[in-house]
Amino acid sequence: MTIPFLEVDTLTMRFGGLTAVDALSFRVEHGEIHGLIGPNGAGKTTTFNMISGFYTPTEGSIRLRGEEISGLKMFEVARRGVVRTFQHSTLFAELTVLENALVGTHMPFRPNIFAAIVGWDTEDRRGAHARAMESLDFFGIAHLAGERAGDLSHGHQRALGMAVAMAAHPDVILLDEPFTGMNPEETNRMMELMRRLRESGVTILLVEHDMHAVMGLCDTITVMNFGRLLTEGTAQEVRHHPDVIAAYLGGTRHVA
Amino acid sequence: MIELLAQTGLNALYAAAYMSLVAVGLVLIFGVMGVINFAHGELFMMGAYTVVALYTDFQMPYVLVVGLAVMFVGALGIFMEWSMFRPLRDNPLGGLVASIGFLMILQAAVSMGFGVRMEHVPPVTQEVIEFSDRVRLPVQRLVVILAAVVLLAALWAFLKKTRFGWALRASAQDREAAALQGISIRQTAQIAMFIGAGLAGVAGALTAPLISVNPHMGHSVIIAAFIVIIVGGIGSLEGAVIAAVIYAFVHTFVTTFYDGVVADIVGLSLMLLVLVVKPTGLFGTADRA
Amino acid sequence: MPRSLIHVLAWPLLGVFLIALPHVLSFSQQEILAYLVFNVLLVASYRLLTLTGEWSLGHVVIMGVGAYGSALYTKHFGVPVPVSMLLGAGTAALIAMVLSYPLFRMKGFYFLIGSFAAGEIIRLLWKRYREPFGGPKGLKRIDPMPDIDIGIWSFDFFEPVSYYYFALAVVAVCLWIMWRIERSPVGLTFHAVHWQDNLAESAGVNVRAYRTLAFVIASGFAGLSGALMAHYIGTINPTSFDVEQMVFVLTWAIVGGTATFYGPILGCVVLTILNEIVLREMGFEQMRPMIYGLVMILSVLFLPKGLESIVQRLVGRKPAPGALAEPTRMEDRA
Repeated sequence: MTIPFLEVDTLTMRFGGLTAVDALSFRVEHGEIHGLIGPNGAGKTTTFNMISGFYTPTEGSIRLRGEEISGLKMFEVARRGVVRTFQHSTLFAELTVLENALVGTHMPFRPNIFAAIVGWDTEDRRGAHARAMESLDFFGIAHLAGERAGDLSHGHQRALGMAVAMAAHPDVILLDEPFTGMNPEETNRMMELMRRLRESGVTILLVEHDMHAVMGLCDTITVMNFGRLLTEGTAQEVRHHPDVIAAYLGGTRHVA
Repeated sequence: MIELLAQTGLNALYAAAYMSLVAVGLVLIFGVMGVINFAHGELFMMGAYTVVALYTDFQMPYVLVVGLAVMFVGALGIFMEWSMFRPLRDNPLGGLVASIGFLMILQAAVSMGFGVRMEHVPPVTQEVIEFSDRVRLPVQRLVVILAAVVLLAALWAFLKKTRFGWALRASAQDREAAALQGISIRQTAQIAMFIGAGLAGVAGALTAPLISVNPHMGHSVIIAAFIVIIVGGIGSLEGAVIAAVIYAFVHTFVTTFYDGVVADIVGLSLMLLVLVVKPTGLFGTADRA
Repeated sequence: MPRSLIHVLAWPLLGVFLIALPHVLSFSQQEILAYLVFNVLLVASYRLLTLTGEWSLGHVVIMGVGAYGSALYTKHFGVPVPVSMLLGAGTAALIAMVLSYPLFRMKGFYFLIGSFAAGEIIRLLWKRYREPFGGPKGLKRIDPMPDIDIGIWSFDFFEPVSYYYFALAVVAVCLWIMWRIERSPVGLTFHAVHWQDNLAESAGVNVRAYRTLAFVIASGFAGLSGALMAHYIGTINPTSFDVEQMVFVLTWAIVGGTATFYGPILGCVVLTILNEIVLREMGFEQMRPMIYGLVMILSVLFLPKGLESIVQRLVGRKPAPGALAEPTRMEDRA
C-alpha cells in the first residue's frame, strides 16, 4: 500500500456551536490539479485554512506523505512544501513586484543576518534574485519587476500572488478562489498557467465556488455541502451527479 | 488590625472614586475617537489648578469653582477635538503624538503661570467622620466618593436613556455605521470629548485639597488610568469602573502593607498579565487594536 | 556629472564636517553634541524595531538596561569600560529576548501598552532595590572611559570632544551595521512582516521569530547607546529613563518620519538643535517645552510624512522601493 500524497482524514472544525466542517475526508494525488468546490457556506474555505495551518482543526488529521501536519503553524506547513495564496489581492502593496517575489524565496534562500552584514551572502542573494525573476517570468510579469505592487492591475496582482507562492518552490500550491473577479480571458490565461505549473511537477489544490471555472481544469473534484463530503470524481462524474445538481440548484449558483 | 483594614478600605474607596472618573473619561474618548489621549492626566491637573487659581487665590465659593473647572476643562477637551483629533482622525499614532504635545504645552503653561513648586490648597472642610479612634473619613474624601457615584450614575443614565447617549454608544461601536444612521460624528465626538475631559477636570478639582498639586501630577494619574482601562477592557465603561475599584484596592493595600513602589509594580504586572492572557480585558469584548 | 560628484564626495565631506564640528562649538554645545550622538544611535535602533510594524514604549528603559548593566559590570567585576559597554548591550538584548515572550503575544496598540508596562516594571525595580541599582538616587561615580594614547594622539575622555569622537566612531559602525541589515534579505523580511504578516508566514517566514529578532537587535543597539551615555555623564538614575525620555524618542521618529533610514535621525538632530540650541539661545528657558509641544502638534498635523518627505521633495526622488531589492552592488556588475 502506498502512502497517499496529501490526505485529509475525518477533519472537523467547530466554531462554538457551529460545525463548519464535519468529518471530511479526501485525498490529493501527487501532480494533479484538485478542485474543492461547493456552494457558499459549504466549508471549503475553512478546510483550506485548516490545511494551510491558518486554523487548527477541532478533530481529525491532515497528512502530507504520511506525516501529520494538522495543528502546525502556517510557516511550518509552508516549510513542508505546502504554500497557500490568499483571496483577493493580498500582497505587499508597498513593496515592488520583485521584492514581493523575493519574500517568496525566503525558504529556498533562508536569510542569514551575519552573512548579510559582512557581505558573505552574495551567492544566495544572486540565487534568490534569479529564482524570483524566474517565477515572475513564469507568470508573465517580469517586465513589471520595478513597479510598486499596489499599483498593478487586478489581473497582474493575482499573477503576482501566485508568483510569490511559486518562488517558494512548493510541492503543493493551495489556491483560494483564484478566478474570483476575473474576466473570461484572464480566467483562460490563468488556467493555462496552472496547467503549466502542474507540468512542472507542482500539485495544485484549489478552492472555488464557481463550478464552471474548475470543470475544464481539475483532474479530480471534491464537492462539499454543509461541511460534509458530497461526492468526488472527475469533472464528468461530478457534473452529472444528482446530489451536486440539487445542492447547486438549492444554492445560488448553477451547474454549467 | 481590623481597624487598619477598615481604614485602608476607606482610603481605597476614595482612590477608586477619582480613578474611575478619570478612567471612564479616557475610555469614552478612546471609544468614540479611537485615540489614546495621553494628555488626560494633564486635564486632571488643569481641574486641580482651576481650584488653585479661583478658590485659593481668588477665594470664590468652592462649589462654583468645581462647576467652572468642569466647564473649563470640558472646553479644553472640545478644543483638543477640534484642533487635533478631528484632523488626525485617520492617524491614531499622530493623535497620540499630538496629545503628548498638548500635554507638554499644558505643563509648561502651568509651570509658567504658577511655578513648579507644589501648591497647597486650603481644606474646604475640616470635618472628619470618626468611626473609631483609628478609622476616620475626612468629609472631603466622602464628597469625592459621593460625587463619583452620582456622576457615574448620571453618565450611565445619559448614555442609556438619551438620544445623545445612543449616538455616542453607536459611534463607539462602529463609526461608519453610525454615520449612515444619520448620527453627526463631529457632534458626538465633541460631546464625548467634553464629558471625558470634564470628568477628568472634576476629579482634579475635587481632589485638589487632598493631594499635592504640581505641574507634573498628571503623570502618575495617567499611568494608573492606563492600567485601569486595560484591565477593564478597552472600550468598556463598566469595565473601567470595576477595574478602577480593583486597582485602587490592590494598590492601596499593597502601599499600606509594603510600599508605593511595590504597589506600582504589582499594578503594572496585573496589567501585563491581563494583556498576555486576555488582551480584551476582563470585561471587554471590543477588539480595537 | 555634478550629481555623481556630490555622491562621491558626500561621505568624506560629512566626515570632515563631523570631525571639525566640535571645534566651532562652545563647551556646553559640545556636551549637547555628545548627547546627540548617543541619541542618534538610540533613535536609529528604534526605527529598526518599528520595521516589523510594532511601536514600543519601552525602548528607553532597554537603553537604561545597557547603561545600568555596563556601569555595574565595571563597578562590581572590574570589567574594562569598552568591554563592559558591549556586555551592557548584550544584557539589553538578552532582557529584550526574555520580554519578547509575553510581549509578542500582543500586536499593535496592545504591544505599545504592554511594552510600556514591562519597561516601567524594570524601571521601578531599579528604584526599589538599592542593592545593586542604587534606588531612586541611582548609580554615581560610574567608571569613566580610560585615557588612551595612540602614538602622538592622546585621548582624555573627560573631554567632551574626545568622548564625542569615540562615540561617533562607535555609532558610525552601528549605523553601518543597521543599514546593512535593512538592505539585506533580512531587512526585506522585516518589511514583509510589517505589511502582510499572513502572506509572509505563508512564504515560510516565522513571523514571531523575525519580530523578536528585530526587537532584540534594536535593543542591543539601544543598550549600547545607554552604556555610551552612562560612562560619559558618570551618573544614572531611574528618572533618566522614564516615559518622558521615551516620548522624546517617539517624537524624533515621528517628526522625522519612519519611511527611510535617515528620517528618525533627521528628526532627532533637528529637534535637538531646535530645543537645546535655538530655543535656549533665544532665551525661552521656561517656554521650551511649550514650543516643543507645539512643534510636535504642528508637524503631525501639517507634515504627516515627516521631515524626510521634505528632503525627498528637495532631492526630487521617492524613497525608491526598489532599493531594497538590489541584490548587491556586485550583482549589478555581474
